[in-house]
Amino acid sequence: MTRLLLVVGVASALGGLFLFGLLRGRPDRDIPSNLIGRQAPEFTLPLHSSYRSSYGETFSLGANAGRPMIINFWASWCAPCYQEAPELATAWRERGTEVLFVGIQTQDRGRHAEGLEFINRFGLGFPNVIDDASLVSIDYGLFGVPETFFVNAAGVVTYRHIGPVSSAVLEAQIGALIR
Amino acid sequence: MRRALALTAILAALLGTAPAQEEAPGLLLEQRVFEIGRKLRCPVCTSESVADSAAELAVQMRARIQTQLEQGRDEAEILAYFQERYGDWILQDPPKRGPHLLVWLLPAGAALLGLASLVVFVRRWRRAAEVPVEVDEADLERVRAALDRG
Repeated sequence: MTRLLLVVGVASALGGLFLFGLLRGRPDRDIPSNLIGRQAPEFTLPLHSSYRSSYGETFSLGANAGRPMIINFWASWCAPCYQEAPELATAWRERGTEVLFVGIQTQDRGRHAEGLEFINRFGLGFPNVIDDASLVSIDYGLFGVPETFFVNAAGVVTYRHIGPVSSAVLEAQIGALIR
Repeated sequence: MRRALALTAILAALLGTAPAQEEAPGLLLEQRVFEIGRKLRCPVCTSESVADSAAELAVQMRARIQTQLEQGRDEAEILAYFQERYGDWILQDPPKRGPHLLVWLLPAGAALLGLASLVVFVRRWRRAAEVPVEVDEADLERVRAALDRG
């Protein structure tokens, strides 16, 4: 009887572990950002050439303090970034006066021409900068691209979205930022 | 005398007391970068450390480790830097606190349980061996006779 209980116990424990592994989904998608509730890391990065006449040579987070902000990380090789870009372009056209949008091309070293092609393809009117050394990527604790950070007027990160951002997420988070 | 000196030199070399060739500082720095990189998970890979991965982000993380080493930061400070940005997730060895303790305690618990089971099993087996085996006297006689016959 004891032996049977032992076998059943061990089998249940192993089965439970197996089920946990199967059902936990993609763990990287469940990890909350360590930046939530903290000041968004400062950065100053060069702008893509098409924005320089309007915004200057570089874009600095600190210089735009006091405005709610959406920071979107993307790369020219990333398929989900192509999926979300039209949503971002639409949201910027509709809410760009209330919230500052910034795009950061990252983990995409040297592919400036491809980045510019991406920007032109979707008519991204908001400033897009180049993070060639992926340093800002590390500062924001990125797990991949695309990722989008929502920063309130006090400069505090309120939400991080991993993967392509939808119009529903943008609408809800912009609403929370300007409330 | 000459023979004694030669013997001493050979012995010194064998025991590793001969002055070691100094490694280039650049090489040592690179070794330190990879040592620390092995303690960090690559954020964009599956089951790879920052030291093992060729992903662009991992390469940039190694560059960041190198810059910090050059600035005089030690390993603990560099690991804390990445932990601050990525959380405990980034560490290959989970910290020995909170729920992470389970990862360290469970294997030790399992090993102890295994050891205890082994002790119980051996004791039972010994006890069983000590109980005299009942053998039929007629059978025993037949075996003895067969042995005597050779």
